[in-house]
Amino acid sequence: MRRRIFHDWRAGLLLAAAGLLAVVMLKPYGWRERPGYPLVAVVDITRSMNTRDLRLQRTAVDRLSYVKDRLQSLLRQLPCGSRLGIGVFTERRSTLLTMPLEVCGHFHALQTVIDRLDWRMAWAADSRIAKGLRDAMTLMRRPELRDHALLFFTDGHEAPPVNPRYRPDFKALRGKVTGMVVGVGGTALTPIPKFDETGRPQGFYRPEDVPHRSTFGLPARPATDAPGYHPRNAPFGGEYVLGQEHLSSLRAAYLRTLAQEAGLAYHTLTDAAALQAAVAHLGVREISLQPWDGRPWWGLGAWLVLVGLYGGACWVDRYGIGERKT
Amino acid sequence: MAAWSIEWMHPWGLWLLPAALLPWWSSPLRRVTWVWNALLPADPLSRLLDGMVPLLGSLTLAALAVAIATPYLPERTVTRIGHGAQLVLLLDRSGSMDNTFAGRAPSGDEASKGEAAARLLQAFLDRRPHDWIGVAGFSTGALYQCPLTADRTANRAAVATIALPALAHTHVAKGLALALDFFADLPLTGSRAIVLVSDGAAVIEPSVQQQLRVAFKRHQVRLYWIFLRDAGGPGIEEAPTDPLQDNPHARPEYYLHRFFQTLGVPYQAFEAEDPAGLQRAIRTIDRLEKRPFHYEEVFPRRDLAGLFYGVALAGVGLLLGLKVLEG
Repeated sequence: MRRRIFHDWRAGLLLAAAGLLAVVMLKPYGWRERPGYPLVAVVDITRSMNTRDLRLQRTAVDRLSYVKDRLQSLLRQLPCGSRLGIGVFTERRSTLLTMPLEVCGHFHALQTVIDRLDWRMAWAADSRIAKGLRDAMTLMRRPELRDHALLFFTDGHEAPPVNPRYRPDFKALRGKVTGMVVGVGGTALTPIPKFDETGRPQGFYRPEDVPHRSTFGLPARPATDAPGYHPRNAPFGGEYVLGQEHLSSLRAAYLRTLAQEAGLAYHTLTDAAALQAAVAHLGVREISLQPWDGRPWWGLGAWLVLVGLYGGACWVDRYGIGERKT
Repeated sequence: MAAWSIEWMHPWGLWLLPAALLPWWSSPLRRVTWVWNALLPADPLSRLLDGMVPLLGSLTLAALAVAIATPYLPERTVTRIGHGAQLVLLLDRSGSMDNTFAGRAPSGDEASKGEAAARLLQAFLDRRPHDWIGVAGFSTGALYQCPLTADRTANRAAVATIALPALAHTHVAKGLALALDFFADLPLTGSRAIVLVSDGAAVIEPSVQQQLRVAFKRHQVRLYWIFLRDAGGPGIEEAPTDPLQDNPHARPEYYLHRFFQTLGVPYQAFEAEDPAGLQRAIRTIDRLEKRPFHYEEVFPRRDLAGLFYGVALAGVGLLLGLKVLEG
C-alpha cells in the first residue's frame, strides 16, 4: 500500500503541496535591502526669508513657506528607511530642532515640526550665511550626524553685507561633509517685510533701515580713492552709501561660490521632483533592511501544485490516459 | 476605518479563489470503475467521505488563496484610561547650558548642563510609556521641536538637541507662551503640565505676565520648574537681603519664582545643583504626574495569513490521509 502511494502521481502532488505548505509554516521571512537617504535639512529663518517673491499654486508666498511646502513634499516622497533631521539657521549659528528621524515611522512629528518652522524662532536678527553654513557643517561632524547629508536652504542674502576680507574659511571642513546648498527666492529685487516686536507687520524695510556695506574691520583694499577716505577714521571712505540691501533676491552666484568653497553641491529650489532628484544625486545613501514576507510565494507554489493536481485529474478521469484502471 | 477591518497585503491573491471550484469536477483519488454499483454493500461512511472529498479540496484551495492574499488586522489605537499626563518639556537652550554645574566650560569627562539634562530626560521619557509629551526649546526665540505625541522616539530625537551647542539668551516668556500653545486646540483628557528646565531666568514684563496667567488658567496647565543652579549661585528661594539687589533685573530667578507662585495653578520648583539633584527632581515629577488619563494604546498589526495557511496544510494532510485509506 505504501508503495502505491509513491507511485500514484496524485499522491506525489499532494505530498509536494504539503511540503511547500510546511515550508510556509516555518515562516520564511527574509530581509530585503532598501535604499534610503539620511538627511538633515537646515532652513534659513532670517528676515529676508519673509520676502514674498515665489508662487505656490498661483498664490504669492514668502520664501520660508515655499521651503516648508517643498520639505513636506520631500518628506512624503522619501522612501521608508530614509531619515530626516530638521534645523534652523539664523545669525551665525545653526541648530537642530530634532535629530534625524525615520521618515515613515515618525511622519507626524516631522510633518508638524516642518509646519511650525517660523521666522519668530530666530534668536538674533543677523544673517551671516557663510558662518551659519560653516556652523551647520561643524554640527554635521558630530558622530550621530556624520553619515547624513546636509541640505542648507537659504536665499544667500547676507545681512549686514560681508567684508570680503573676513570671509569664513572652509578649509578644515571642505570635503568632510556631504550635502548641498539649496537656493531659495525669486530673481527680481523685492522688498522685505518688516515686523514689530510683537510680530505685527510694519510694511517693508526702507533703504535707511539697513546697512548697505560692510564697514567692519579693515577693507579688502584700502579705499584711498573713495571720497572722505581717512586711513584710521574712515578706512572705507566717509560717504553715506545707500544701496539695494533693503531689497532681496536669490543670490545664486554667491551661493554657488560658497557651495564650491565648502565642497558642497548647489541646487536652486524649484519643484519637489527636482529637489528629490538633486538629493538622489548627492550619492548619500543608506541601505536599511526591511522585513520581507516570503510566504505568499511558497503558498503560490502549493496552490499551483494543487491546481495542477485537480486540473490533471479532471483530464485523466475524462480521457483515462496514462492510468491503469483497477 | 472600522476597528476590526481586515486589510490585504497582496489582494491579487483573491483572484485565485475561483479555482476552489475545481475539486467538484475532479478528485485526487483515483476513479474506480465497478461493474455494477448495486453489487457494493451500502456503506454510510463511504457516502459521507464521498461528499467530504470535494468539500475538503474546495476548502483547502480557498484557504490557500486567502492566505496568499495575506490578510491582516491593521495597527490600531484604542483609547484607554491609565495613569499619565500631557506634558510639554520646555528646555532652555541659552548659552550657559554649555557650562558645567560649576559654571565652567566642561573639560575632560565633565558633562555640560545641557548634556546632563539630555541624558536624564531621556531616562525620564523611558519611564513614562503612556504620556503624551511635546518638546519645545527656548533661547531668545522659542523653538517648536516636537508635537505632543506618544511617539517616544520622536521625543528622544527632540530632547537630544539640548546636548548640541547652545544658542543665545534666556527668554522664558516666549518659551512659556509656545509651551502653552501646545494645549490650545487639544481636548482636556487628563492632567496637563509644563516641565520647564532652565539654568537661568529672565524678567517678564507685567503685561506679558498677565497674558501668561490667563493662558495657564484657561488651559489648566500645571507648572514644574527645574532650576539648574550653578554651584554657589543665588537660589530661587533666597530673598535678596541687599536692597540694591532686590529687583527683577538683579535677581531674575527669585522674581520668576515669585511670579510662578502667583499663577494660580499648581506649581512646584526644584533646584538642582548637580546631575543627582536633577534626577531627584525628575523622579518627583514622575511620581506626581500619575493621575487618571486617557491614553491611546497602539496594537500592532496582526497577521491572519498564518491561520489560513494552517487550514490549507490541514486540508492537504486530510486528503493525503484519504489517499492512504484509498488503498
